[in-house]
Amino acid sequence: MPNALRDKLSAFINTPVNIAPLAVLRMAFGGIMFISTIRFILKGWVSAFYIKPILHFTFYGFDWVRPLGATGMYVLFALIALAALMMAIGLFYRLAAMVFFLGFTYVELIDKSFYLNHYYLISVLAFLMVLVPANRYFSVDVWCKPAIHVNMVPAWCVNIFKAQLVLVYFFAGVSKLNYDWLIAAMPLRIWLPANSQLPVIGGLMEYAWVAYVFCWFGALFDLFVGFALLYKPTRKLAYIAVVIFHLATGWFFKIGMFPYIMILVTVVFFSDDVQLRIIGFFRNIFKSQEPNVSTAYKPSPFKIKAIYTIITIHFIIQLLMPFRFMLYPGKLYWTEEGYRFSWRVMLMEKGGTAFFHVKDPQTGHSAEIVNSQYLTQLQENMMATQPDMILQYAHFLAAQYQKKGIKHPVITAESYVTLNGSGSRLYIDTTVNLANEQEGFGHKKWITPFNNKN
Amino acid sequence: MRKIIITALTAVSAFFIIQSCSKSGSSPNGGGGDKGNSFDRKAMLTNWETNIILPAYTQYVSVTANLDAAVTAFNTAPDAAKLTALQTAFKSAYEQWQSASAFDFGPAETATFRANTNTFPTNVSQINNNIKDDVYNPNLLVNLSAKGFPAIDYLLFGVGADNTAVLAQYTTDALAANRKKNLAALSAELKTNAASILSAWNGAYKTTFLNADGTDVGSSTGQLVNQLIQDYENLKNQEIGIPAGIQSLGTTFPTKVQAYYSKESVKLALLHIAAVQNIYLGKSAVGDGLGLDDYLIKANATYTDGKPLNDAIKAQFTTSIAKLNVLTDPLSDNIKNNNAQVTAAYAELQKLTVLLKTDMTSKLGIAITFGDNDGD
Repeated sequence: MPNALRDKLSAFINTPVNIAPLAVLRMAFGGIMFISTIRFILKGWVSAFYIKPILHFTFYGFDWVRPLGATGMYVLFALIALAALMMAIGLFYRLAAMVFFLGFTYVELIDKSFYLNHYYLISVLAFLMVLVPANRYFSVDVWCKPAIHVNMVPAWCVNIFKAQLVLVYFFAGVSKLNYDWLIAAMPLRIWLPANSQLPVIGGLMEYAWVAYVFCWFGALFDLFVGFALLYKPTRKLAYIAVVIFHLATGWFFKIGMFPYIMILVTVVFFSDDVQLRIIGFFRNIFKSQEPNVSTAYKPSPFKIKAIYTIITIHFIIQLLMPFRFMLYPGKLYWTEEGYRFSWRVMLMEKGGTAFFHVKDPQTGHSAEIVNSQYLTQLQENMMATQPDMILQYAHFLAAQYQKKGIKHPVITAESYVTLNGSGSRLYIDTTVNLANEQEGFGHKKWITPFNNKN
Repeated sequence: MRKIIITALTAVSAFFIIQSCSKSGSSPNGGGGDKGNSFDRKAMLTNWETNIILPAYTQYVSVTANLDAAVTAFNTAPDAAKLTALQTAFKSAYEQWQSASAFDFGPAETATFRANTNTFPTNVSQINNNIKDDVYNPNLLVNLSAKGFPAIDYLLFGVGADNTAVLAQYTTDALAANRKKNLAALSAELKTNAASILSAWNGAYKTTFLNADGTDVGSSTGQLVNQLIQDYENLKNQEIGIPAGIQSLGTTFPTKVQAYYSKESVKLALLHIAAVQNIYLGKSAVGDGLGLDDYLIKANATYTDGKPLNDAIKAQFTTSIAKLNVLTDPLSDNIKNNNAQVTAAYAELQKLTVLLKTDMTSKLGIAITFGDNDGD
């Protein structure tokens, strides 16, 4: 390794930096997660997503993750909200961060129908929060135990968050560099006109050129904003762009808390001065004094080694995950093999209707399944366009009919899917008995290729 | 910094080349021309409200009032002539209901109007228990299948083999008085429900409906489209599919058809699909106004074959109606004697489901479920 690079890397990791960004991030992240969790509960989604459904679409390898029943789920959500609040104020911080990370991730693993990239981002950020001493400054923990106060931390403590956010934006931008987004302006060409009732700009939404402006600006924003936030001279401008961009998308699309989360967590890019001013603002409210001691955070060598290992593995995974789709044949948006966990957002208008048939091989009789007796509408919609969920549902149906006395029920799926304005077409080979197909990381051969027009 | 940007740009261009190899079916020219002047959703809502929904409800209020009056007349002095008159009043009310069942949102949703009016197959033993015990509580869940048109269908056509036998149930039968009372309660309930929905629409909901002119789940377009599809699926499944044994491994259920006792199943299904089609087209007594067809045309929506989606939908309506026209009443006999005809009609109805549910909603950008979407 050339010396210059090694020095840079070492500076990126070891240089003592002010801890204030961590404290601000802790408050911002904990605070918004608290609000977000309460909102989720008040919307009735705990019940709608995790209590009412009969069947849950677990992630491959996580079949053991089950919902905890009505009381259990509400207790879990209360615990998550409490942990978020404790993170924000810095009370029993590491424990709170750990509980939040595990609790939140557990909930997300219950059912992939409700997977959103920003939930994944929350899990990732929470995981990183567990690794850093964000409570060693301006926190209840320090107030109770002043000895833990530090005002400097090694640079990696702050940089891992910046690196993570840069990756998120950058990969989101890269995923937009394709024909549908840049040349066909899809799916914005469908989504924007649906907003024509908005005051002032509503009338503009019908024009195709507006969709193109949104697409190209969106792609450029995602590609470069992370770097522009890192670079001091462009930081202010970049942050203004962050605020405008996220507020605008929040206004146009039904994307919940995501814009506010991004606006808050990107504050981590700001300089120490700004961070200290933010802390100063809160100190004024609480009439708290900045302790006069100047100390640096020094974890034990063993702990440092462990954390370095974890962080290295984490970022290697983060760098490779978005590329795994290349290992699969076919059109990514169509097969969705390697689609999740890659910061691919807002890229598809995909809809489908799936009819399942069960056949008793002994009598030759068959029946169409009423999906609504087993699935909620949201689950049904999600399932119809995602092969792994179609397979899971087919296995569930096979089990149901085995219970009803059919030894080897033949389950076939007839799903019609439309993608980014294409006409609906057959998605799954209707002759394949899905009861015999196994889930795995391999390519699912029974997905009908996108261009196989009928 | 410059190095980072250059590296990034290189990576980006490499990626672009790889990804641009695959594209979706939509071509930039076929997708939606730069036409400007937007589709007027509010005008479509106005057309639906003024020319379709309110007239449908107004007419429905009138026919249910007629039905209730015919019940009262019959109950006062039951005879063969009044029974026939009552049966006619029943049929015309049931026919009109086919035009009103799609709008199960807003006031109708609050009152669970559709389920309270037309849950079938009706539960004969529950009806007879209510008569025997001389109790009827409209709020009991179990009575959902012992009320509305299907229950009255049974009471007017199913309690005896012919009209003489039916009449006897209201004159000489030991439970005649109780039966009359139950019939009166059921027809009064239909009448009252109809009137209260219409008055809610004529009140505040009239403007509420027009003002919610967005495309999210709570918007009027969103709600109407969702309920239209739901209602259409009820038609496909309840009126045709389930009786024809589509969901039951070869076992047919001829008695589960709509209007089993009055033997009007096919006629009602045809009226029902015509009502759905008219809502889609925005068509009413005053002419062909703005509807979902115009919306799709405006959005330049195309189907898999590259031709307009609206054409595909209209053609599929025509095919489905043609297949339904082949069927004959009583549908229960048609199922017993030539079920292949019925399942053939079902197959065409199924294709229309895909067009409406997947292609249409997707092209219009209408949200059909709650929950947040992925953000950017």
